Amino acid sequence: MDLETVKERAGPRQFAPKDDMPEKYRKAATRMIQFHANSEVMGGYLEKPFIRQAPSIDRKLAFSAKVQDEIGHAQLLYRAAESLGIKTREEMLDELANGEGKFLNCFHYPMESWHEVPMIAFFVDGAAMHRQATLKNTSWTPYAHAMDKVCFEEGFHVKHGESILSELMNGSKATQEKTQEAFELWWPRIIQFFGPTNDKSVHNDFAQQVGLKTKSNDELRDTFLDTYVPKAEKYGLEIPEYPRIEYDEAEETYHVNEDDLDWDEFWTIAKNDSEGSHEQIGSRAHAQAAVEWVRESMDSWEQASNTGTPQAAD
Amino acid sequence: MIWEVFRQEKSGGYHKHCGNVHAPDRELALQFAAIQHGRRMKTHSLWVAPQREIGEIDADEMSFGGMTDKTYRWATSYTDIEPAAPEVAESEAEQADVEHSLEADS
Amino acid sequence: MAASLTPEDLDETQRAAIEELLFRMADDEYVQGERLIEWQIYAPTLESDLALANIAQDEFGHARLWYDLLEELGHTEAELIWERPADEFKHTTLVELPFEEGDWADVIVRCYLFDSAERLRLESLVDTSYAPLADRVGKALSEERYHLENAQSWLDRLTDGDSLEHVQDALERLFPHALSLFGEPEYEAEIVENGFRTDAIDDLRVEWLETVIPYLESLGLNVPDPDDAERPTPRGRDGTHTEHWDELAADFRKTYNELEAPEPARIGRERA
Repeated sequence: MDLETVKERAGPRQFAPKDDMPEKYRKAATRMIQFHANSEVMGGYLEKPFIRQAPSIDRKLAFSAKVQDEIGHAQLLYRAAESLGIKTREEMLDELANGEGKFLNCFHYPMESWHEVPMIAFFVDGAAMHRQATLKNTSWTPYAHAMDKVCFEEGFHVKHGESILSELMNGSKATQEKTQEAFELWWPRIIQFFGPTNDKSVHNDFAQQVGLKTKSNDELRDTFLDTYVPKAEKYGLEIPEYPRIEYDEAEETYHVNEDDLDWDEFWTIAKNDSEGSHEQIGSRAHAQAAVEWVRESMDSWEQASNTGTPQAAD
Repeated sequence: MIWEVFRQEKSGGYHKHCGNVHAPDRELALQFAAIQHGRRMKTHSLWVAPQREIGEIDADEMSFGGMTDKTYRWATSYTDIEPAAPEVAESEAEQADVEHSLEADS
Repeated sequence: MAASLTPEDLDETQRAAIEELLFRMADDEYVQGERLIEWQIYAPTLESDLALANIAQDEFGHARLWYDLLEELGHTEAELIWERPADEFKHTTLVELPFEEGDWADVIVRCYLFDSAERLRLESLVDTSYAPLADRVGKALSEERYHLENAQSWLDRLTDGDSLEHVQDALERLFPHALSLFGEPEYEAEIVENGFRTDAIDDLRVEWLETVIPYLESLGLNVPDPDDAERPTPRGRDGTHTEHWDELAADFRKTYNELEAPEPARIGRERA
């Protein structure tokens, strides 16, 4: 299929592994899905310490289930990416370990206290879900199928995160103040979750033309703010003065003044080049290398059990 | 040999198991399946897989989803929290459907 | 004998006996879960990560089954998990040991030793005289079956080639700790006389050794002689623990202490 045909036919769940897709499409889709899959792993990595540190046994169980779901989502997404025939899962996981694999800006920062937890578990997950819901209509069918399952599960994550926020903001004055501090620290990062403005985004145009994405960064960011700014206020969080966020009466939507955000930091992070990137990628890589012997052992088991079994004739 | 057949009704949908055929190899299995399982039902694509390569685990061997209380992993359990956004509400509704079907079976 | 005893029926000694039984079970499961979650994100493959995370949640879930029964007897979650002095925890030292990075053989051997003992213990409770316990044993037992099958599947495969050595090392290190699984409780006589457990602890120990030793040997492993093994001084069951336990307890209580003892949140279920 040539690119022109792809653009003409682009629509929800239009293309499948059996279709002869042009390399440009397959590479763009791989980049996008691999980024998504990597983000699931690194988001799980960031939340993992809070399974242990959760302050009730039910919260501990919920946190473990949530981190488990993130790995489950990574499993679905790497498979969807593999189905494009560009890279294997092993290659993608190795790229994540060696620092080539890219992932969401928010997961490059350390998260140290329970007060920060809802910043990821409510706001970032809420943002992720907001985007993922639109990806159910992506043109790559295996990606859309993965989104069906991810969106099914994700409602629990967002409510779990909001429940923690609610508990903190109903806690002692000191707890509320620390939560507000965490919010101020994370708020600009959360807004940058949706990436740069449309005119600065490198991949946005093509991804929309071939139906991989159905909404632009700007549309997603604005509609996210419409829902989550009132939510934050409802719990008594004060929206920081910067970045300036203005409500557009005519369009009935919020807009952010993007010059108020630190884009140098954003682009440094996008290159995996911040302190947190090095730390988080490195320690996960270390853990992955430490169990290489198990994967090798499974590979030789697999080879041994495959020899002698007649393969189904083609 | 026996080949299991999976049908996808329309583009973008899921392939669901719909039956099987006898055939000596994959090419003929696809040709036979196209007639036996695709001639009347709405069909966009068929998959075939050798039956002997298919494994099974069922509810007699495994309590899927566990037996002890797992309410913490359902959006519906967070009753004091209203869904923050339409997509959260949609996810919760899907989960509620599954929970109902699980309860109906127990 | 149908389970007939309820919390109200218990005299002081019976109550102390049932509490000892429950504390051991709950603490074993809780601490096992607390260590297993260390493998989330870090397991060898995504699929094995999901499976182990599920097992960890099951163990926490079982701990909660037994802690709930202690709540019925007047304890609270705050006291049971978050504020109890670390030297009052009764779990076996097997479950509190830290993992060396990448030591997947440890987690598999540990799960096998623990889950095989757990199955025997639960089976000996199926016909318990204590009604609240009887209701819950079957559920835990059905989940333990998967744990044991998963551990054995891994053991079968990891003992097949070069990785046998990893498994042997883990076994030598863990087995002496596992021997404390069946240490005699203070109230053993009352536990058996009252039918709280239908087998004596010594019989369970013998049955466990007769199960695990031949199986492990059939995989080509050398199992230390249980009567001759050098046992670690802390036994767990009496509240003595390795130096790792205090550190672990401080870690899981970090947020609870930071928030100055919040009421532990419940999700989707009523407080006992």
